Amino acid sequence: MLLEVRDLHVEFRTRDGVAKAVNGVDYQVDAGETLAVLGESGSGKSVTAQAVMGILDMPPGRITGGEVLFRGRDLLTLKEDERRRVRGAEMAMIFQDALSSLNPVLSVGDQLGEMFVVHRGMSKKDARARAVELMDRVRIPAARERVKQYPHQFSGGMRQRIMIAMALALEPALIIADEPTTALDVTVQAQVMELLAELRREYRMGLILITHDLGVVADVADRIAVMYAGRIVESAPVHDLYKAPAHPYTRGLLDSVPRLDLKGRDLCAIKGLPPNLANVPPGCAFHPRCPMARDVCRTDVPPLYEVSETRGSACHFWRECLHG
Amino acid sequence: MAEPILEVSRLVKHYPLTRGVLFRKQVGTVRAVDGVDFALGRGETLGIVGESGCGKSTVAKMLVNLERPTAGSIRYKGEDITRLSGRALKAVRRNIQMVFQDPYTSLNPRMTVGDIIGEPYDIHPEAAPRGDRRRRVQELLDVVGLDPEYVNRYPHQFSGGQRQRIGIARGLALRPEVIVADEPVSALDVSVQAQVINLMDRLQSEFDLAYVFIAHDLSIVRHISDRVGVMYLGRIVETGTDTEIYDHPTHPYTQALLSAVPVPDPRARERRERILLSGDVPSPTNVPSGCRFRTRCWKARERCAVEVPALAVPEEFRAAGGPAAHDSACHFAEEKKVVAEEHREGPA
Repeated sequence: MLLEVRDLHVEFRTRDGVAKAVNGVDYQVDAGETLAVLGESGSGKSVTAQAVMGILDMPPGRITGGEVLFRGRDLLTLKEDERRRVRGAEMAMIFQDALSSLNPVLSVGDQLGEMFVVHRGMSKKDARARAVELMDRVRIPAARERVKQYPHQFSGGMRQRIMIAMALALEPALIIADEPTTALDVTVQAQVMELLAELRREYRMGLILITHDLGVVADVADRIAVMYAGRIVESAPVHDLYKAPAHPYTRGLLDSVPRLDLKGRDLCAIKGLPPNLANVPPGCAFHPRCPMARDVCRTDVPPLYEVSETRGSACHFWRECLHG
Repeated sequence: MAEPILEVSRLVKHYPLTRGVLFRKQVGTVRAVDGVDFALGRGETLGIVGESGCGKSTVAKMLVNLERPTAGSIRYKGEDITRLSGRALKAVRRNIQMVFQDPYTSLNPRMTVGDIIGEPYDIHPEAAPRGDRRRRVQELLDVVGLDPEYVNRYPHQFSGGQRQRIGIARGLALRPEVIVADEPVSALDVSVQAQVINLMDRLQSEFDLAYVFIAHDLSIVRHISDRVGVMYLGRIVETGTDTEIYDHPTHPYTQALLSAVPVPDPRARERRERILLSGDVPSPTNVPSGCRFRTRCWKARERCAVEVPALAVPEEFRAAGGPAAHDSACHFAEEKKVVAEEHREGPA
């Protein structure tokens, strides 16, 4: 297994008290596999990724438990300088907002080349040559000329390609992409997702795709982990999940998105709002919004029940959900 | 279409691009909206879709008179509102209200919800007698699904979805006939989007509202619209009923746009044929000659660079009729199915 997150807990100190942003998350990604982590804002999907990458702001954040095993080694026990060698070289991250993730006063060539200078000790000239190669690989036209340009001279889609090039630079084994296409238009989104999928196949990288978009997940993921209020509520191979969700939250999400290919269907909205993380409801966090909730849901936190060898659901009544 | 309540013709908005401070000179023109025509029927929803920079929000602003058009007309019940001013304009504005995209910045944080929703009555006192306002505001809160007791709270005490309901209540206060909604749900979480869409659906039938619904999300637009216009670089390139546009698109841009939308069904992966467009949308300061889509179009030929295609029913479909016979601004219009028809049995 390339990456294994075990029972990860992350807290934030806020004015309203301690917010448990991540509350016992487990997931695995294998080489060449795409895991989608699906959730709404505040579900803890990005915080989990930041903890894995080692870029969580601490304080106010704090990892209070769990393990992040990368090729069998627990990253959470590493010293910062060891961690830095892993970051970028062995795992890399792509962010949603390319414009604010790139340095506005450095040319893209310098920023791409920096990876090789810092991690590989290359000369500036060689690094520049590699930068051009990378830009070619992510299909930025006229790479040789554009390598001297600054981030603001590129369109949103092109900037996201530069982010991808930067993540790929050292050929990491794992890429974490946090809402990589949310800020892009659909036609550009399609281009970028296609590129990402192709590169992943070529390099046999593991990919963790963090998103709120059920459409994007259906398009590219092998497996999917659905997060709600800091926990994974359902984890399944992608086909199984879309065919028959085993958690009422997943089902609610699937029923609430309008679809291009289905007209005139009523949208079944999930009632209520996602909970405040400083004040998560007792028992199952989803129970106040759940159409299936019963007494036990208000008191007992459901574990991730084994639905099949490859599936799990954190619902006391997953059988009913799956078959009803 | 029902009797048109709003008719837009040859609507144009150009912004001058200037350089210099002391000696300002115009160095170019941003052609944000460059000749848009459509009509909106009473109680109907017209969806306008397009990618960022296509001019859809500028159209919205002109409809509610937040921007003055450079040319063209907007007729409300036959009267051109772009030429009105003063009292006459104010009277018309009452009937065309707007709901904004961002529920965080479109509500004044220092005003209570009651004041926000009741503010339209300060501008149009004839709409509600003073003593009656509080009751009206509470009714509006109830209509949009919020507790009428919330009148004295402030916007920050509400979630994004609730704030959008407040924005909608404000839009309804004057009992308008037309609501222009610019990306009203795109800032909301998926599970909350559906609540707001359902609310807008319900209000439409309850108050016989006509919507101009502007969004980049094609799935949402299909869900809510009776008719759809697809915009590209300041123009509508194709327009028709939702079935005509989604199931029988004839303009290559519409086809590419539809094929790019991810469908939440992994079985669609194998079935779909994705049209990947190359490059980016050209800048509206430098619009290509002829057909403005030609620089990204896989069908472009010489004619496309010279001759601007008119938005009309293409000849080849005119005689045959049927769903492919709708307005499409392409010299080489061709019907192509890109959305796989799905008869979902529903989750087992």
